Amino acid sequence: MKTVRPITIAITAMGGQGGGVLADWIVGLGQQNGYLAQSTSVPGVAQRTGATIYYVELFPAEAADKAKHDPILAMMPVPGDVDIVIASEIMEAGRALMRGFVTDRTTLIASTHRVYAISEKEPLGDGRQDPDTVKALAAKTAGRFIAFDMDAAAQTTNSFISSVLFGTLAGSDALPFSRTAYEKTIKNGGKAVEANLRGFALGLANSAGTTPAIPASPTPPIEPPAPAVAPLMARLESDFAPATHDMLHHGLKRVVDFQDPAYGRLYLDRMAAVHELDKAYNGARRGWRLTRDVARYLALKMAYDDTVRVADLKTRASRFARFAQEVGAKDDQIITITEFMHPRVEELCDILPTPLGRFILRTPWAKKFMGLFFGKGRRIETTSLHGFLLLRLIASLKPLRRSSLRYGVEATRITDWLDSITSAVPANYALACELAGLQRLIKGYGDTYERGMKNYATITAALGTFAEAKNAHKHIKILKEAALKDEDGLALSAALEKLQNGRTT
Amino acid sequence: MAERSFATEVQKLKLGKGETFHGEGILAVTKALLQAGVSYVGGYQGAPISHLMDVLSDAEPILNDLGVHFETSASEAAAAAMLAASVNYPLRGAVTWKSTVGTNVASDALASVASSGVMGGALIIVGEDYGEGSSIMQERSHPFAMKSQIWLLDPRPNLTSITQMVEKGFELSEASNTPVMLELRIRACHVSGSFTAKDNVKPAFTLAEAMEHPVRDYGRVVLPPSNFVHEVEKIEKRWPAAVSYIKKHKLNEFLGGSTGDVGIIVQGGLYNTLMRAMQLAGLADSFGRTDIPIYCLNVTYPMIEDEVRGFCADKRAVLMVEEGQPEYIEQALNTILRQADLQTRVVGKEVLPRAGEYTGQVLRNGLQAFFAAHAPGKAKGTKSDQPLDPKTQKQLTQNVPQRPVGFCTGCPERPVFTAMKLIQRELGNFHVSCDIGCHLFSILPPFNIGNTTMGYGLGWSGASAFNTPAGKRTISIMGDGGFWHNGLTSGVGGAVFNQNDNVLVIIDNGYSAATGGQDLLSSRADNTNRVTNQPIERAVRGLGVNWVRPVNTYDLGKMVRTLREALTTDVKGPKIILAQSECMLNRQRREKPLQRKAIQDGQRTIKTRFGVDADTCTGDHACIRLSGCPSLTIADTPDPLREDPVTRVNNDCVGCGVCGEIAHAAILCPSFYRAEILHNPTRWDRVRAAVRRAIIGFFQRLDERKRARYSFGGTS
Repeated sequence: MKTVRPITIAITAMGGQGGGVLADWIVGLGQQNGYLAQSTSVPGVAQRTGATIYYVELFPAEAADKAKHDPILAMMPVPGDVDIVIASEIMEAGRALMRGFVTDRTTLIASTHRVYAISEKEPLGDGRQDPDTVKALAAKTAGRFIAFDMDAAAQTTNSFISSVLFGTLAGSDALPFSRTAYEKTIKNGGKAVEANLRGFALGLANSAGTTPAIPASPTPPIEPPAPAVAPLMARLESDFAPATHDMLHHGLKRVVDFQDPAYGRLYLDRMAAVHELDKAYNGARRGWRLTRDVARYLALKMAYDDTVRVADLKTRASRFARFAQEVGAKDDQIITITEFMHPRVEELCDILPTPLGRFILRTPWAKKFMGLFFGKGRRIETTSLHGFLLLRLIASLKPLRRSSLRYGVEATRITDWLDSITSAVPANYALACELAGLQRLIKGYGDTYERGMKNYATITAALGTFAEAKNAHKHIKILKEAALKDEDGLALSAALEKLQNGRTT
Repeated sequence: MAERSFATEVQKLKLGKGETFHGEGILAVTKALLQAGVSYVGGYQGAPISHLMDVLSDAEPILNDLGVHFETSASEAAAAAMLAASVNYPLRGAVTWKSTVGTNVASDALASVASSGVMGGALIIVGEDYGEGSSIMQERSHPFAMKSQIWLLDPRPNLTSITQMVEKGFELSEASNTPVMLELRIRACHVSGSFTAKDNVKPAFTLAEAMEHPVRDYGRVVLPPSNFVHEVEKIEKRWPAAVSYIKKHKLNEFLGGSTGDVGIIVQGGLYNTLMRAMQLAGLADSFGRTDIPIYCLNVTYPMIEDEVRGFCADKRAVLMVEEGQPEYIEQALNTILRQADLQTRVVGKEVLPRAGEYTGQVLRNGLQAFFAAHAPGKAKGTKSDQPLDPKTQKQLTQNVPQRPVGFCTGCPERPVFTAMKLIQRELGNFHVSCDIGCHLFSILPPFNIGNTTMGYGLGWSGASAFNTPAGKRTISIMGDGGFWHNGLTSGVGGAVFNQNDNVLVIIDNGYSAATGGQDLLSSRADNTNRVTNQPIERAVRGLGVNWVRPVNTYDLGKMVRTLREALTTDVKGPKIILAQSECMLNRQRREKPLQRKAIQDGQRTIKTRFGVDADTCTGDHACIRLSGCPSLTIADTPDPLREDPVTRVNNDCVGCGVCGEIAHAAILCPSFYRAEILHNPTRWDRVRAAVRRAIIGFFQRLDERKRARYSFGGTS
C-alpha cells in the first residue's frame, strides 16, 4: 500500500542529558511548521542515569487533511524504520545500532564524547571500551553519520548538549525546516534562551563543516638542559638506542625530579645494564621492547609515592594554576584548596631513618602510640599559610630520603625485580618484558598498594610452576589482566585455577 | 515541593469547550476527570502516573473552585478504600497508581468495593508498568479485574480515545454499579498529543451533602448475607448491564475491512503498534486504513460474546494480539467460540511471544507468521528486518557497555552503601533485605549490596524470618516513602512486637524521591496544603524502639561507626539507623537558582566542588568502586609513564564531599581535593588572599628556582 509516511526520530540518551527537552523542541518545531507531532518516552528509573529512548513522529498535516483522517502514529521505533537517530553519546549511538534503528536511510547524529559506564570505571586498570569500533560501524551502517564532540561544544559555549544536538539536526537538513524555525522553537521554549541559541549555532556550524579551526598554542622556545643534568642527557643520547630515548627521557626526568641528578645517574646505570642485555638478545629487532618497558616501570618504582613526594607535588605553583582551571575559577574569584590526606603510621615510618622506622613498626606500644597521631584522615588547606608551610616542611625532608626505611625496601625490591627480568631474558624475551610490565599492578597508597603487592607476589609465586613453559609470557599477561579486573581478586583466582587445571589436563 | 513545578500544566486543566488541549496522556486523563464531574481523586504516586498526582497537587485553586477533593493517599490500599464514597452516594471518584505493584497493595479494598458495588462512577486509573524501562515484576493487571469483577478498559493510545474512555468509564461504572479500571501503558501515559476539551463540570452532588445527609444501606456492606447476594448480583445484574452499555455505546471498535476470512483482534492499547507493523507489512496505510477486519478491544474485560461471535463467524482464523501472560483473552475467546460451535482458529501465543512487551518488531514477526500460515501472500516480507549482519551485531555487543541505572550525582543515599561496603570488609558479608526506592540501586554496581526486595515498605518484613540467635545480624533497608506507606506498621511494629534483634536503616531523604520527589509526613519543607515535619524518629520511638541513631549520611565515618555498633552491640531489640540528608536532586532544584541569583546580585557566595589531583592519582579507581557517583569518571592519565586512566571529577560535581570522606574512611590516596570558589569576595577576602598568595608565592618561586637547577629544558 503506497502511503505518506511519518518522519521517525529516535533520541537515545542517558537520563538527565536533556533528551526530553530535545524531544519537546522537535515536537514544537513540527507543530509550528505544518506537521502533526507525537512523542513518547519511557519515564521512571531509566531516567536516573540509565540509557533511555525518546521517540518522535512527525506527519504532514496537509496529507492528513487530504485524507480526512488522523494518522496512526507509533508508540516506539521499529527496527529498520527510523529516519533520524540522535545519540547524545557515542556508545548510545552504538546501542541504537544494536537495536536496529540505524539503516542506510538513517541520518545518525551523535556526539563523540564518552560518558563512561560503571563497568568501564570500576576496574583496577583500564576498563574503557573502544569507541572507534562503534564509530566505524556507525559510519558504515548509517546513511549519513554526523559526529563530533558536542559535549565540548556545549562547554565552550556554556550551553547544553541538547541545544548543540538541535543545531546539528538543523544543519543536517534531515528535516524540512528552516534555521529560523528552529531558533523560533528555542525562543518559544523560554528557558535559557541565550545559552541554547549559542549551543544551537555551534551545532549548526559544525554539522555544515564550517567550524573555525582552533588556533594552535604557540610552541615555547626550546631551552637547553641545566648544567647539572646536561651530562645525564648526553649519556642518555649517546649510550641508548634512539627508539628508547623518549621513554628514558620521561623516566630520567621523573627520578631527578624525585630526588637529584645522582639518582638520575643510578637510573641510567640500571638501565644501561638492561639495555646491554636487550642488545644481546636482538632488542633492535624487537623494537627495544625490554628497555622501554623497564625504563617506564623502573622510573615509577624509583620515584615511589612517599609522603615527602606527595607534599612536594602538592606545594608546587603549577598545581594551583591547574586546579583553578580544572574547577573553572575565574581570575576575580578566590579559590581555597583543601586536600584529603590520610598518612598512617606506616607512611610515617616510610620516611623515617631505617632503624627508627623499623623499631616503631616492630614495637607494638610504639606503633600504638604513634597511631594516636596518625589514626584519622586530615584535611589540609594548601592555600592557607599553615597548611602550605606544613607540607613544605615535609617536602624539605627530601635530602634525608636515602637513609629512610622505604628507600632501602624499594632498593631491594628493585634489585629482585631486575634480577628476575634479567634471568628470564635468555630463555624467553617476551616473559622478561611481561615481568617488567607486571609492575603495573603496584600502585596507589595504603590498602590499594598492599593489594597490588599481594597480587604481584601471587603471580610471581605462580610463575614458578610454569616459568619453563614456552608461552609463560602469555600466562603472565592473562594473570595480570585478571588481577586488574576486580579488587576482591575473584578474576585472578579464577584465572589461576584455570591455568593450573589447563596444565594438569 | 514535588520535583517539578506544574504551573503551566495546571493552566491546561482550565481549558474550556472547543479549545484544543496539547500535552501528555496522563495530563489529558487529569483534565478528563474534571470534565466528567469527578468529586474526589486519590492515589499513590509512581511512574507512569506520578504526573497525574503532581499536577493535581499543584492545582488546588481549580479543585477548590470545582469542589473536588484531592488526596495524596498513604498507600494504594488507602486510595482504593477511598472509593467507598461512591458506594452509597452518587459521587464520581477516581484513584490512581502504578500497576501491578499498586494493584497488589490495593486489592483488599478493591475487592471490597467491587463486592459492595457503586452508585457513583468509580474509576481506577492504573499505569501499567510493563516492558521497556519497567522496574517491577512483569505481570498483568488483567486478572485483578477478572477476580473481583471490575471492568477493564484499554483504550487506543491517542488522547481523544483515552479521554473519551474516562468519560465512558464513569458512565459504564454507574450503569453497571461496578468499579471500572482504566489501564494505560507506560508510553500512553507519556505520549504527547491533543484533544478537543470540554468545560469542567462541578459535581451535582457534593461530598458535603453526603456528609450532612448520610445514607446507609445494609445491603452494600460486605458481611453475610449481603456478601452472598453481591456475588449473585454481579452475575445476574451488573454483568448484563455492563455488556449492554458497552454494546450500545460501541466502546469496542470494528475497524479495517468488513469482509475477508482472516481478522485480527487487538487490545486497544496495542492498536497503534499493530497498525505500524501492518503498515510495514504492506497491509495498511498511515491512517490505519486496511482491508483486514480488526476488532479493537477498548474494553478487555468483560468480553462481549455477541460481538466476538459476529466478528469470528465468517473467518477461518483470527490473530489475537494480547500482551503478557497468562493469555486470558485468548482463553475466553476460545471458550466463546467453542460454546457457539464456531470453528474459527484463534491464533495468539502460537505466533506471538508469551512473555515480553509487544513492540513493533515483535508484532511484525507475528503478523508474518500468522499470514504465512492462514493467508499466504498477503503480508509483505518473510522474516524480521534486522538490519545488522551478525558480525556487526557481535562487534557492537562486545564494545557497547551496559548502562545500569544508579544514584544521581551527590546523592545522599550513596554514602550509606559505601559505609555498608566498608563495614562488610571489616565484619564480613551480611544478609541485606532491600525495599523499593532509589536505594534499591544498591544492588547494582559498584555496591552489589542486597539479597531480596519484597515490596514497598516491606524491607524489614523481608528479613523477619531471620529473627533467631546467630553470629551475625541482618541489615534491612527502607526508604521514608516505604516507611510511611506501610513499613512503620509492617516492619517496625512487627519487629518490636516480635522482639527482633536486627538492624534497619531508614533512608530519610525528605521526599518520596524515586516517584518524583513528592512530600511525605516527614518532609522538612513546609507545605501549605499538607502537614509535614513529622520526624520518623518520633514515630519509631513511639512504637517502642529504643535503639535509634540519626546519622547525617554525608558523615561517612560516623555512618560506619554507627553501623558497626548496631551490628555488634550487646543491646537486644530492634536497632534503627536513620540515615538523614536531603535528596540532592530536590536540593539542587531549590538551591541552584538561588545561588545563581546571589552571584549575579554580587553577594559573597562560595561554590564548592571536588577534584582529583592527577599528579598523585595512580588509576586504581578504588574511589569509584566505593562511590559510583556519575561525576566521578576517568580520563587519560597525563603521566607519560603510567598506563591506566586517572580518576577525574567532571563539571557536574555538586560538592557533596562524599569522595573526600571516602578517601579518609577507606584510607585511599591523597588525591582528592576540595575547591571552594569564592564569588564576589569582600575587600577583606581580597586582602587576606593577597597576603597568602604573596607569602606562598615567595616560597614557591624559591622552590621553582631550586628545581630549575635540575631542569631538562624544553625538550619534551
